[in-house]
Amino acid sequence: MVTDLVIIGGGVAAGLFGSLLGLGGGTLIVPLLTLGFGLPLREAVGVSLVCVIVTSSASAGIYLQRRVANLRLGMTLELFTATGALAGALVAFLLDERLIAGLFAVLLVYVAVSMLWRGREDAAAAALAEREAGQVGAGASEAVITASSPVVESDETTPWTSSGWSFIPALSGPGYTIHNLPIGIGGSILAGVISALLGIGGGTVKVPVMHLAMGVPLRVATATSNLMIGITASAGAIVYLLRDEIDPYLAGTVCVGVFVGAVAGARLQQRIGLRFLRMLFVVVLLYVGFQMARKALAI
Amino acid sequence: MTEPVRAADPVEALVARLLSLGTVVAIALLVIGSALLALRGGSPLDPGPPLDVSRIPSDLVAGRPDGFLWLGLIAAIVTPCARVAASLLGYLRRREQAMAAISILILAVIALTVALAGTTSA
Repeated sequence: MVTDLVIIGGGVAAGLFGSLLGLGGGTLIVPLLTLGFGLPLREAVGVSLVCVIVTSSASAGIYLQRRVANLRLGMTLELFTATGALAGALVAFLLDERLIAGLFAVLLVYVAVSMLWRGREDAAAAALAEREAGQVGAGASEAVITASSPVVESDETTPWTSSGWSFIPALSGPGYTIHNLPIGIGGSILAGVISALLGIGGGTVKVPVMHLAMGVPLRVATATSNLMIGITASAGAIVYLLRDEIDPYLAGTVCVGVFVGAVAGARLQQRIGLRFLRMLFVVVLLYVGFQMARKALAI
Repeated sequence: MTEPVRAADPVEALVARLLSLGTVVAIALLVIGSALLALRGGSPLDPGPPLDVSRIPSDLVAGRPDGFLWLGLIAAIVTPCARVAASLLGYLRRREQAMAAISILILAVIALTVALAGTTSA
């Protein structure tokens, strides 16, 4: 009974952290199941992929309703993430588990460093916003509110209804134009391979590629990545499912926990000081990365 | 200032509804299955039965957790594929050939995944 509660609690914690910090739950589920419960890595990856699909579908539905995610761009890139995921899932069964554990350790350190970097950027942006607010004064607030979230009307001349030869402009959105599509395609294939190998969503690759290389605003990139994760993880999960590498008892229970945690995280996001949480999470990631590295090196 | 928000897109609205519905169905089945497993004294760490689609209906009728859990997991895995199929119908209706072609290619990759995983398993 205690074990059951720990598993559910671990799922809730993974979903909560993932939701609060914009990470997929897979980053924590795989180490939890392998290091905490001694499960084989491939079984943990299979469970993680299903959890990633559930959280992706839940959040992508909301992002689309709010019209933040770019479905056309997401579908174009997910054609390549799905291809990468297929290759990754097939390769995963040929690789030594220690090599996969080593790759996971590298991923965890990369995510920890990225989070530290993002924290510094957020702090700098907040300081700048505070300074600007002080200079402009209270009178400007009304103008800011009026200018925020302008709705761009759709008509026959906008790229949203175009087709055929004007395909690439159709992927762009209001206020931004897509460029470097080949880099996006390459990044998507890589994200798909990593997702299926390690049981994660792959957002840690997709979001920087879309935002930095393709010119997609960060909020749209995050939402679109969330949408794409469903298909990427689905392609990988099908392979694990058909190879009997997904246990229904474990996957079902962990999924429920992750979903509850993700929903709670979405509601708590505005009330929690993310700076402390981020630092705590970085410490956890580095510790888990160290443990995964030990597993890889059989120390 | 926040980024501009696009006007409503019928295909996106359809996909959003489908994703929400798929998630609700999958989670409901998994919650029922997990609760039944706990009530019967089972543990998530007990080895579960392998997937046998033909057994799911009888498991559901008999109130066994296996059927609910497998159906929930399948619903979760299939939901993203279903939204690609829904997108295909939406784009065909709007005569967006490029996006319809991409939808077909994604479904083809998924079909190839099933075929390859099926032939190389066991």
